[in-house]
Amino acid sequence: MKTLPLIAIFLLALPLARAALPVPDADNGGITLPPGFRALVVADKLKPLRQVAVAPNGDLYAKTREGGIYALRDTDGDGRADVIKEFGNGGGTGIALRGEWLYHSSNNAIYRYKLAPGELVPAGNPERIVKDLPDRRQHAAKAFAFGADGRLYVEVGSPSNALGQPDRARGAIGQDPTEFLKTHGGYWSFAADQPDQTQADGRHFSTGHRHSTTIALNPANGRLFIAIHGRDQLSTVAPQFFSDDDNAELPAEVLHELTEGANFGWPTTYWDPHKHQRMLNPEYGGDGRKAAPAGKFPDPLVAFPAHWSPMQLAFYTGTQFPEKYRGGAFLAFQGSWNRAPRPQKGYNVVFIPFNASGLPAGGYEVFADNFTGKAELASPNDAAHRPHGVAVGPDGSLYVTDALHGRIWRILHTGETK
Amino acid sequence: MRLIAVILLVGLLGGCAKHEPARTATAPAGPAPDGEKLFMLNCATCHMADGSGVPFLQPPVKGSAWISSADPQPLLSLILRGSAVLGEGSQAFDNDMAPQAHLSDAEIAALATYARQRFSVAPPARPVTPAEVAVTRNRPGLP
Repeated sequence: MKTLPLIAIFLLALPLARAALPVPDADNGGITLPPGFRALVVADKLKPLRQVAVAPNGDLYAKTREGGIYALRDTDGDGRADVIKEFGNGGGTGIALRGEWLYHSSNNAIYRYKLAPGELVPAGNPERIVKDLPDRRQHAAKAFAFGADGRLYVEVGSPSNALGQPDRARGAIGQDPTEFLKTHGGYWSFAADQPDQTQADGRHFSTGHRHSTTIALNPANGRLFIAIHGRDQLSTVAPQFFSDDDNAELPAEVLHELTEGANFGWPTTYWDPHKHQRMLNPEYGGDGRKAAPAGKFPDPLVAFPAHWSPMQLAFYTGTQFPEKYRGGAFLAFQGSWNRAPRPQKGYNVVFIPFNASGLPAGGYEVFADNFTGKAELASPNDAAHRPHGVAVGPDGSLYVTDALHGRIWRILHTGETK
Repeated sequence: MRLIAVILLVGLLGGCAKHEPARTATAPAGPAPDGEKLFMLNCATCHMADGSGVPFLQPPVKGSAWISSADPQPLLSLILRGSAVLGEGSQAFDNDMAPQAHLSDAEIAALATYARQRFSVAPPARPVTPAEVAVTRNRPGLP
């Protein structure tokens, strides 16, 4: 008998909790979602957006590619941003909150602003934590995250496709990557609060990747996970071995755990998602059939279709979404350009289940889709939107940013069956 | 007549280099069909089949000054030498363009003719010739 009132309280509380969610848009902001999920547009027509972070009070901070940072606040609880302020400059990609600090990255540095309690826009100037990182335009975005050890893990990409000479050209010959990888194609860790560190002050943590634009700490086990962009233009470099169809479907975008000393196999190899095998790049003697030496580089934990372009990974720490999503991760893909001349694909947000040990359980499923607004897409320019950033709000809502026309969606679980 | 002979000769040599002499030798009048194929193979992956480019990464070729210039030499220099001809300071897009000097003069002429006819602001009066490509190929630096 004692349990009955508890159940009654639970049943009464459930609709109240649901009622606290804002009213979704009739068209879910143009995107498609699994049954039970709805969405609304928080803000629209901002500058092209990159990664996003959500403060404990629900304030949003969205990075712009070439401008400053947008701070957005919903003051009346309808889910729409009523206050939108842009501050700072210099563009970039990464953004994260840590205690009273808002960290962000330009293409060659990491900065942080101090945020006073309740403050939307930081009053002071940013403090530079890491400076003078390599920036040669190509693959210059600097992803970063904080490890369980409190250190700041920062990516330095490879301004290259597969280190060919000439890179991306027919018949390109792979160069010895030894010197190049001393300062590119890896993660470096830094003290999180020490100003003006240089790359040389950092600890060279991992190597052998082309470009990774997202890194996230799994709070369940304190381990770091990264997504890596695979190479382009197999059929341009080696048309005798790779057709346009091969180029559209190879190689995989991959998810790995970031461990100290790891070498992820670039530039000599790529991961074939159909053969489930690591292959030699044509710049280094590959022909689409030659496998890379076994056991030298780690297999990916999850392989995604080619060229989807993984941009931000966010672990689902909320409870608003059903049980299956808790402890898993969402990964936003901004979609391909490099499948051309075949149709472009991968403009979506996927869900990656993680197991009780905090490791990927295997596979992924598309969660949010139809960002392009088209059944078939020839060019990224024809897309309505390109998802880029994804982050979890304090109430368990999922926020997604648009790299094309500056829209921000808030995804809710309403449980609606219609 | 001499120009036609040069076009045929270079076309044949270019074709031989690819082990496809029959295709070049028996191609229908005008270089446009070949140019489209070459564009799709060598350019469309980055610049898109419709020439619209990719935001922030690769520029559109559709309507660009390089394509639309009455003088084809700047475009030929860009194709042969890649985005290095732009100079680092003036590069507004993330990715570099590789030199396409491995293509023959006839192939580049056909490619440039197709691209100019399809993507220039106003269609050019005449096609690009292999001889013009040869001139640019043998001239260092910017035209």
